[in-house]
Amino acid sequence: MNAAVAPAAVVVRRTIAASAEDLFDAWLDPDALAVWMRPGGIKKTTAKLDARVGGRYEIVMQGDETYPHTGEYRVIDRPKRLVFTWISSGTEQHESLVTVDFLRAGKQTEVVVTHEQLPQTQRSSHTNGWTSALERLDEHYAN
Amino acid sequence: MGEYKSAQLDNVFNALCDPTRRAILARLTDSGARVTDIAADFPISLNSISKHIRMLERAGLLRRSVNGRDHVLSLNAEPLAEAAAWIERYRRFWEGRLAALDAYVTSNKRKRK
Repeated sequence: MNAAVAPAAVVVRRTIAASAEDLFDAWLDPDALAVWMRPGGIKKTTAKLDARVGGRYEIVMQGDETYPHTGEYRVIDRPKRLVFTWISSGTEQHESLVTVDFLRAGKQTEVVVTHEQLPQTQRSSHTNGWTSALERLDEHYAN
Repeated sequence: MGEYKSAQLDNVFNALCDPTRRAILARLTDSGARVTDIAADFPISLNSISKHIRMLERAGLLRRSVNGRDHVLSLNAEPLAEAAAWIERYRRFWEGRLAALDAYVTSNKRKRK
């Protein structure tokens, strides 16, 4: 029997009043990423990116604990598509795949995140804690 | 990679990644059914259906009660809830990040103007 890839996938979309270029660049600029890739409960995010196909990134989210996220860029097609692997405690250090599509919608851009090949679960409480913290952060951002 | 507490969830996801198995689960949503009844509903062999059923059982998604020669299957949805919770967690993570991306990019744009 082949080790079938678990079909667990998360698709999240949001239409944002900005150009695809500006949005795309915010994923590959470490200073930008440090600002918005900061879930609630995380005091500081630092990002080191080698933004080329085959290049790796390290995003460290620091809260009460430190959560490193690492991966490798697979597709960099500005400003249409970005694909990278994603490894973190949330994936139990297994490799998962994130695809970000930037779809023009008039003057706006729809950003579609597909996170797939999420193979394992993680039952630790800190991830649950994130969920509620994320909501607080959204309230904070959504002025 | 000796982390096998998550093996159960792998089994659930693997069980769900096949249309026949999803159809079997759907068939059992309202009431239990005998294996032979389920097999009659699908245009594949009893042997194939049995394999699908075994995968669903391994994932803990089915209960089997034996009544004489009848094997009656019913749905056990609990493992599904765990899988759904896991997906939900990542959905919220990315929704939160896209909201923050929106705030970041659109406020930057205002600053530049």
